[in-house]
Amino acid sequence: MIPQEIAETIVDPKAYAQETPVDEAFTFLRREMPLAQAEPEGVEKFWAVTKQIDIREVERNNDLFHNGDKSATLTTIEADNKVREMMGGSPHLVRSLVQMDNPDHMDYRRLTQSWFLPQNIRKLEPRIREIAKGFIDRMADMGGTCDFARDVAFLYPLHVIMEILGVPEADEPLMLKLTQELFGANDSDVNRSGEETQETDDFLASIQQTIGDFITYFNDLTEKRRASPTDDLSSVIANGSIRGEPLDHFAAMSYYIIAATAGHDTTSNTTAGGLWGLCENQDQFAKLKANPGLIPNLLEESIRWSTPVKHFMRSATRDTSLAGADIAKGDWMMLCYPSGNRDEDVWDDPFKFRVDRETNKHVAFGYGAHVCIGQHLARMEMRILWEELLPRLESIELNGTPKRMESSFVCGPKTVPVRYKMQ
Amino acid sequence: MAEAFKVWQCRTCGHMYEEEFGDPAEGIAPGTRWADVPGDWICPSCGTPKADFDMIELD
Repeated sequence: MIPQEIAETIVDPKAYAQETPVDEAFTFLRREMPLAQAEPEGVEKFWAVTKQIDIREVERNNDLFHNGDKSATLTTIEADNKVREMMGGSPHLVRSLVQMDNPDHMDYRRLTQSWFLPQNIRKLEPRIREIAKGFIDRMADMGGTCDFARDVAFLYPLHVIMEILGVPEADEPLMLKLTQELFGANDSDVNRSGEETQETDDFLASIQQTIGDFITYFNDLTEKRRASPTDDLSSVIANGSIRGEPLDHFAAMSYYIIAATAGHDTTSNTTAGGLWGLCENQDQFAKLKANPGLIPNLLEESIRWSTPVKHFMRSATRDTSLAGADIAKGDWMMLCYPSGNRDEDVWDDPFKFRVDRETNKHVAFGYGAHVCIGQHLARMEMRILWEELLPRLESIELNGTPKRMESSFVCGPKTVPVRYKMQ
Repeated sequence: MAEAFKVWQCRTCGHMYEEEFGDPAEGIAPGTRWADVPGDWICPSCGTPKADFDMIELD
């Protein structure tokens, strides 16, 4: 069994905000017990999968390791019981691609897969470049200081995905607020209650209210798109069918919710984390300035460095073995992406931010059938932003201490104060 | 005249194998034709087998 202190650390939202305790915990686990069971207080026992090769193996075998049989994200036993009571036995508050297994997963993914393919999204490049330029012009007008997270990184991917979904610009602040409430449910700076700690009932009620607000919003949008379809992504979801039947309402609402949250928050976290990395590693910034051909490397290193999705859970559908360990049917598995992306067997200097890595085979987008459907869009958005920003950026440095959101699920910087000179 | 390079796409995740660029990270040199990519090569993005790639036309 994993020592209790380590087990508590790898599920602690505050530890992810601090990062160092989590890095130290995972370094210990990769070295001493790369696949072992943890039982934090109040949480069902699970296997912590910390080596990249094992994370890939679990994700590749998506029929052997299911997403939907148990909660797809960490939860407490008490919260899990209450969710199942509320949801008629299901462990999920939403039913998106993340919570599905085949055959539903494949069918629901196909609904929007072609929309997110590189050959489709590249049609959006001119418009996305225009949006990026707008944010960079605004940054230039801010007089040499800004909070890069709040002023640029949160807003640019938000604007892109909301245009794709067909959500009016006036509603973007609402979408950002609801997203942060959902992913930052443990962080009193952004959660709905503003409370540091909450009873399980209150915690779940807050999340349900947030989901309820999303559903109310997207119900209205669905009706509009059914009445008058456009070429936006919402029209695809609103008018889509699965095996000849219209989408199940709950799954359709969940589809919107995942697009309207994961569709920008992860890219925001990575963009802010990448700039933070450059500020703290001026030699890397200088390399990029000297050789803009390294922008693709910067992208992948920012994604690896930030790893905005901290974990997903799987459960075994039958007895099996993995990396020499006996896994029993029903065992819960935590895929520890930050650990996989600091794996000493995969990278030299895994704790260094370097834009000159020749290969960067991270698992930040996941792997296998559940690999992030929006990965090509995310990469294109970030590439465009860096292509537009770096030539204009003469210098940049931190102008205060950045802070990360407190979450063991999806988190990244919530503030990155910077001082800069721009052309 | 040499045949134009083609592009093959993963059915799972949309990753594109472009013959022109190969997959140097996996030891597949630029210019390697799809037919010459080893049968046990898998999609670097998601692990899908070579057999589950389709040739696509790009504009």
